[in-house]
Amino acid sequence: MNWAVNSPWALTGLLLALLPLFNSGMRTSPAPWTALIPGDTLSAFVVCCLRLCAVAAIAGLVLGMAGLHRTEQSRERIGHGAHIVLLLDRSSSMDNTFAGRAPNGVDDGKDAGGTPPRMGKVEQRMERLPRAMHGAIAEESKATAARRLLTDFVKQRQTDLIGVAEYSTSPLFVMPLTENKNAVQAAIAATATPALGFTHVSKGLGMAISFFEQQPVTGSRIVLLVSDGAAAIDHDSEQKLREWFKQQQVRLYWIFLRTAGSPGIFDQPEDSRDDNAGAMPELYLHKFFLGLGSPYQAYEAESPDALKQAIADINKLENLPMHYFERIPKQDLSAVCYGVAAFLLLVLFGVKFFEVKR
Amino acid sequence: MSNTLKDYRTLCLLSALMAMLVLFIYPSKQQKTPTYSYTFIIDITRSMNATDYQQDNQAVSRLHFVKQTLRELLQKLPCQSKVGLGLFTERRSTLLFEPLEVCSAYTEIDTAISKVDWRMAWAADSNIAKGLLSTLEMLQKSDSSVIFITDGQEAPPVNPNYQTDFSTVKGQAKGMIIGVGGLQAVPIPKFDSLGKQTGFYAQDDVPHRSTFGQSNLDPSQIKGYNARNAPFGSEAATGSEHLTALHETYLEKLAAESGLAYARLTDLKNLNQVLQNPKLAIEKLVQTDIRRQPALLALLLLSLVYLPRLYKFRPFFRS
Repeated sequence: MNWAVNSPWALTGLLLALLPLFNSGMRTSPAPWTALIPGDTLSAFVVCCLRLCAVAAIAGLVLGMAGLHRTEQSRERIGHGAHIVLLLDRSSSMDNTFAGRAPNGVDDGKDAGGTPPRMGKVEQRMERLPRAMHGAIAEESKATAARRLLTDFVKQRQTDLIGVAEYSTSPLFVMPLTENKNAVQAAIAATATPALGFTHVSKGLGMAISFFEQQPVTGSRIVLLVSDGAAAIDHDSEQKLREWFKQQQVRLYWIFLRTAGSPGIFDQPEDSRDDNAGAMPELYLHKFFLGLGSPYQAYEAESPDALKQAIADINKLENLPMHYFERIPKQDLSAVCYGVAAFLLLVLFGVKFFEVKR
Repeated sequence: MSNTLKDYRTLCLLSALMAMLVLFIYPSKQQKTPTYSYTFIIDITRSMNATDYQQDNQAVSRLHFVKQTLRELLQKLPCQSKVGLGLFTERRSTLLFEPLEVCSAYTEIDTAISKVDWRMAWAADSNIAKGLLSTLEMLQKSDSSVIFITDGQEAPPVNPNYQTDFSTVKGQAKGMIIGVGGLQAVPIPKFDSLGKQTGFYAQDDVPHRSTFGQSNLDPSQIKGYNARNAPFGSEAATGSEHLTALHETYLEKLAAESGLAYARLTDLKNLNQVLQNPKLAIEKLVQTDIRRQPALLALLLLSLVYLPRLYKFRPFFRS
């Protein structure tokens, strides 16, 4: 019962509720000597009740004006769901289509997903590419496709706690694990702004896992990595990530948005000279994830449809029983206060007609 | 019956009941109220680590002070206000989340602001004019006001020949530039890869001029000038770019060019005040609760019935 008022100063009006204790609010009739009239318990009781009604009516009005409400409550419930951290790739290549072109059809050829940065500190697409879609879905950029599907995904996962982290050259903390779906949607919508630098996946993963620190272990814990490329992870980071994945019991889903023609997760090198993390970062990142020891699933999405499938799978699989807190929003009680006061006023008014006037 | 109706108490109760009737019939009315939506773009370049703010008798960095002030501001903003967050570094900014209503998403916004860190920077340059322009273009379509929070320190300093042209956004953009930092130049802390401070940037650590394009000086003035091989001459540039102070005149100039307002961040009260700028307000039709007025009337009438002092004047009201 967490009750609160909007304007506490209005509560001083409660002093008025004391008035009926000093005055019956009834007409008095002259009597020669009141001591002559025998005491009547019933009358005393009725008068007392009427005074209490008046007290309650005044109190009701004051509380209503002060804006009495019950504060937001949370109720613990057991349901099905997960704690999900969306780890989104913000590297510039995400702004290209699945065909590796800019959405307006220009092949700008910069930072094609996955390939290590070829240009050093280049003018990073400072020229704003018009983001006009020419109707066709196939022209949709990878980021747009991911955004559209993730928006739907979040809508479907009502009981989950969802957090958002992003990474490009460095990790960005965006939204803590929260049940507020509006906040998550706002974070996903913000990825519509142009993407940033390059792909530094290990730092991003580190940040995503850090979301689970100081969170109760209940339901499944998922990091959903949505990226269109990979990068080699250095040894120190590998070590730490292994440790953290195990410690926090995190499951990893990797949705790899594959650009046509770029190497995929499951491709084996044709030339043994290419068999290293520098040349095939996707394959090596995949191998590293497989060796993490925690549940891991990879999806290679080459089109928006494949991405949809991957998200549907997660939707189906990740529904472990979970404790969660359901939010009961703030309840306004002023209407109740006014209602009660009005009713009591009606009673007091009605009683007026039973007064005897000699 | 007639006697009952003649009694002032009955009349008071009747009027109070009428007032309650009005209360239930017209509980609210549509009213235009100014609401605010801010998108805070925080500069996270290195110079923001300079410690020239005082908090609880401790020197704190500009970034820390900005974060702290924004978090306190968040508590002060009325419900219905919206806050979005973005970061600036290099020559552009990124939006972390679109504006969210502060009361329903307080914890989320607060946590996100508290997690802002200079290490989130995706590149190390700092060109504020270009960053501002890209931010204004990026957020042109949103009705949120851009609050660009920066100290005005650029690395490398911009060549006056290559200034950003704000004509495309001037007049359309809505917002403010908030200058942070002191007017005294202070050194910029240097950190290692683990985030430990390892001293300060020295004069040799930073570029003191931009060597892009042509120099803004007259070639005859430049020592060792060669149009192709050394357009900036043979001398090494020296300067005090390793020290940082709030470049107030520069930011004021940018604000004037881009049609934004400028204010300096000193404390929470001041920030809260400048953000209440009517130019940034969005007039919104909001259903306002007006039940208080009839309720107050009913309360006064009801109190009148039970007012002890009137007891003495009873004969006046008696017929």
